[in-house]
Amino acid sequence: MGLLSIIRKIKKKEKEMRILMVGLDNSGKTTIVLRINGEDTSVISPTLGFNIRTINYQKYTLNIWDVGGQKTIRSYWRNYFEETDGLVWVVDSSDIRRLDDCKMELNNLLKEERLSGASLLVLANKQDIQGALKPAEIAKVLNLDAMDKTRHWKIVGCSAYTGEGLVDGFDWLVQDIASRIYVLD
Amino acid sequence: MDDEEDLSNPKKISNEDSISQKHSAMIERLTNLHQSRLQQQEISRKSDSNLSPSFESTKSFLDRFSSLKQAIETELDRCRNISDRESKSILIKSDLEKISLSISNLEKLVAENSYFLPNYEVRSSLKTISDLKEKLELVNSELLPKKKFAFKSKSSKTKEQNNVVVVNENVIKENDVDSNVKVRDSPGFRDKEGVVLIKHFGDLEEGEFTLENLNSCEIRLIGRLRAIFVHKLKNCRVFVGPIMGSVLIEQVEDCLFMLASHQIRIHHAKKTDFYLRVRSRPIIEDSNGVRFAPYLLVYDGIESDLKECSLYEDTGNWGNVDDFRWLRAVQSPNWSILPEGERSGTVYISKSETSSENS
Ligand SMILES: Nc1nc2c(ncn2[C@@H]2O[C@H](COP(=O)(O)OP(=O)(O)OP(=O)(O)O)[C@@H](O)[C@H]2O)c(=O)[nH]1
Ligand SMILES: [Mg+2]
Repeated sequence: MGLLSIIRKIKKKEKEMRILMVGLDNSGKTTIVLRINGEDTSVISPTLGFNIRTINYQKYTLNIWDVGGQKTIRSYWRNYFEETDGLVWVVDSSDIRRLDDCKMELNNLLKEERLSGASLLVLANKQDIQGALKPAEIAKVLNLDAMDKTRHWKIVGCSAYTGEGLVDGFDWLVQDIASRIYVLD
Repeated sequence: MDDEEDLSNPKKISNEDSISQKHSAMIERLTNLHQSRLQQQEISRKSDSNLSPSFESTKSFLDRFSSLKQAIETELDRCRNISDRESKSILIKSDLEKISLSISNLEKLVAENSYFLPNYEVRSSLKTISDLKEKLELVNSELLPKKKFAFKSKSSKTKEQNNVVVVNENVIKENDVDSNVKVRDSPGFRDKEGVVLIKHFGDLEEGEFTLENLNSCEIRLIGRLRAIFVHKLKNCRVFVGPIMGSVLIEQVEDCLFMLASHQIRIHHAKKTDFYLRVRSRPIIEDSNGVRFAPYLLVYDGIESDLKECSLYEDTGNWGNVDDFRWLRAVQSPNWSILPEGERSGTVYISKSETSSENS
């Protein structure tokens, strides 16, 4: 039995899910995680390394890894791919100029063999901003429809400020992961 | 922690199943430990800020980190030097798995402590981990050239993967041409030279703004804003009222900025002075010759705008700049504090002036 299957077995017992949150810098990853966890969001610095939060969500334990998105540290993202059940790609829907960068980085990520089994939730964040692109527009720009047919994915508009959409997004993610991993119970 | 005993003194175990059991017990212990630590931290942590609780010690982290790192390196060397063919196939595989676990473990240690560690320690620890993973991968490919070994950091591996990638790229490119998505521009000042550009912001509804491709301009954004994006400015002077959210600045040269904001990210800036009030630490990346000073902007009603944006008090963070490209403890050569004698005086801007050109 390989290491991964052992880990999977333990996870299954503990109903634990490992979620990796990535996206360009300034997209709102840390704000989203803190908001979900009910923490203070009034002073957040750009993330230099990463933050981990363990959150009980429904009957599951989510280990959420929020990794900084500054260019310098994007090369570290791959240190966190292993054993990832859910990938959350956060987009600043008001940062129209950098959508190309955003698309390129997401495409790179989706090529990763180690992430091939992970469910993908795209969060079109900052919907509270008037000029923000709608989730359907973001999906078009990122060309999500062209994604590998075997990938489970969904895009949800949200705002870490108002909290809108976050629960919808995570509900979908957790259910999707659960239906893949815990089919038997 | 006594969990490492298992990792650094591997016993000879002959069949894979009992190794598996040991592993699974160990992972469970580690997970539990990890969990309870996290809870502990949750209790002791007040915010995401860099205030270090006094009971946490960088030194004890570093001692622990380097001894774990040593242990892993010793193990890696040991695996490399096993010469007996027979044991290679069975023992080494499990040994490498153990090493891989120790590395993940080390990673967790950094993660758990990263909130009180100095930034450069976090980054150099991350680098060390990355290097260890690469080394492990190397040893793995040296020792088990044919065996498929499903685990940790395949990072720079096989060519086969790359072939698949190329196919994907083609598909995506074709579709690009098909859909050719056009998106609207956000509000902003763009493509101007040698003019004064002024905009007043009333409520936060419309408070997101872009400054792009401006040369030798003076820009004044008065009132409260939510966020601004700045891209490609040369020889400009930029004065902005309080910003509730974040500022993203890319590719600016020979400019002066006065900004008050919750977050500021500066990329590819050259020879530019920043007068800031900022709630979190400003960060720079790929920049040089950038200097920092406190915010000195005044217009009618700025006090209440600052208050409403929670920017009334100066946190002093204008000078706590993090250079993401600079991994060492000594001061980054890319930025400095603007000497008091060279600073601008307080800048008053009038609310009644308008742009020198209709935009
Ligand atoms: N208007 C608005 N601003 C948001 C929202 N979410 C986050 N922000 C702001 O966006 C900025 C960036 O947020 P962070 O959470 O630090 O972004 P991040 O993705 O963690 O950035 P890195 O750590 O650098 O990768 C902050 O100023 C947040 O206040 C949102 O939903 N609406
Ligand atoms: Mg962050």
